[in-house]
Amino acid sequence: MRRNWMLFCCFGVTACLVRTAIAQEHKESEKASESAATAGLSATNSIPSHDRASPQAFRSSASEDRAARIEGEKRFRTNCGRCHQPPHKFPPRVMATAIRHMRVRAMLTDEDMRLILKYMTQ
Amino acid sequence: MKKTRTFLISADRLRARAGLALLSFALALNPFATPVSAQGVSDEDVKPVPLLQGSVGFITNFTGGQPDLHPIATPVVLLPIGQRWLFETRATFENDLVQVPGRSGFHGGPVQKEVEYAQIDFIANSYMTVTVGRFLTPFGIFNERLYPAWIRNLQSDPLILPIGIGPSNASTGTMIRGGFKAHPQLNINYTAYFSALSTRSPVDSDRFAGLRAGIFVPSERLEIGGSFQHLLQQERSNLFGFHTIWQPTPLPLDIRGEYAHSRRGSGYWVEPAYKLSQLPFLRNKMRRTQLVARYQQFFAGELPNDALPSVNTKEFEFGVNYYFMDGLKASSNYGRQFSAAGNLNVWTMALTYRFVVPLGPTGSAQ
Repeated sequence: MRRNWMLFCCFGVTACLVRTAIAQEHKESEKASESAATAGLSATNSIPSHDRASPQAFRSSASEDRAARIEGEKRFRTNCGRCHQPPHKFPPRVMATAIRHMRVRAMLTDEDMRLILKYMTQ
Repeated sequence: MKKTRTFLISADRLRARAGLALLSFALALNPFATPVSAQGVSDEDVKPVPLLQGSVGFITNFTGGQPDLHPIATPVVLLPIGQRWLFETRATFENDLVQVPGRSGFHGGPVQKEVEYAQIDFIANSYMTVTVGRFLTPFGIFNERLYPAWIRNLQSDPLILPIGIGPSNASTGTMIRGGFKAHPQLNINYTAYFSALSTRSPVDSDRFAGLRAGIFVPSERLEIGGSFQHLLQQERSNLFGFHTIWQPTPLPLDIRGEYAHSRRGSGYWVEPAYKLSQLPFLRNKMRRTQLVARYQQFFAGELPNDALPSVNTKEFEFGVNYYFMDGLKASSNYGRQFSAAGNLNVWTMALTYRFVVPLGPTGSAQ
């Protein structure tokens, strides 16, 4: 009987932990989307002409892409290298399957999975 | 008769409780369940293709002077279905070729075939995946993550591997698992599972319920975790274990270790592996070379287990791995085993190759 209670308690503690973390992450993502919206609004206000905005937007998106790729490489080495030697890059559709498999097997987070896929398919 | 009935009722109750616990855990997460697309699943823009991957290997063992040739092939089939589903299965085809007294050459019996796992995964949301079917028992890290021949640093199994993983290394039942960022510097991963009793070979499994949870600190490349399992049959005992993986950032060094405890035995292993990429000469060769060592100790328990050593055992192994190219690896290691049943040398040489074959067109991203 005591063992069963121990098992139930373990389940309960884990569930609470997960719920707390999820709630925390939701709050953070809401904050991030709010600040992104504010930044977007201020950028639109400061650049009146569409012609002038385009190159800046292009440069900003290119730098974001580069940053995501660098972060993806970091996540790839940190997560995949924990268990095995890093493989070569695969075609995007192959990598999409492999990353779904590793998401389940290695319990990658959603963010890690997205960044690693971006890095491995570019 | 009465006693048997009581046993059956209590077994049913326990099974129901374990099922209820899994269900309540799933429900506990449900309020936060959101469509996968809303969380920005990474493969939403890329249609995944079915894959055949896996490894083939030729392993030569000399245990106590007795040679044993061991060809092995482990294909894995991955079949993604839609945005949220994945069917995955792994089979093993292997044979043991040994010298028969009075005959020349090596002889083996029929090829041993086994379906190690066949599971359906449903990605419920960013935090939880539900798995049903036959799956590798997630007790510790070796069985689930380090077992394939192309991944493991040393070809021999740790002495404590049979603890907590059930017969044939797998469970038949259901599992929920996931990983999420709990803090900018901290990821948490968890697994909760229930396995039903199956005595039908080769899909035999024990009845148990268990948990595994781990924390991963990406900046330190450190993962620490623990496993707990309650056996719902036989002696109805508790099993527990701990695992760790650490890759110090400034060094090409991996340190892995596990501890497991059960009434049938307990023990630990520690395995450092160092890549020689920092040496200033023969750089091209050195970056492909890895030195590995493993020290392990096993303490016999109060109950017997055919898969575990019957007496206290210590073993030290060291070896060299050479990575010719992506997926092709040669490894060689020597070990010395010390036990009351007799000391012996263990030599292993292996060549392993990992392959990935898409089962459909890969050219288009859409």
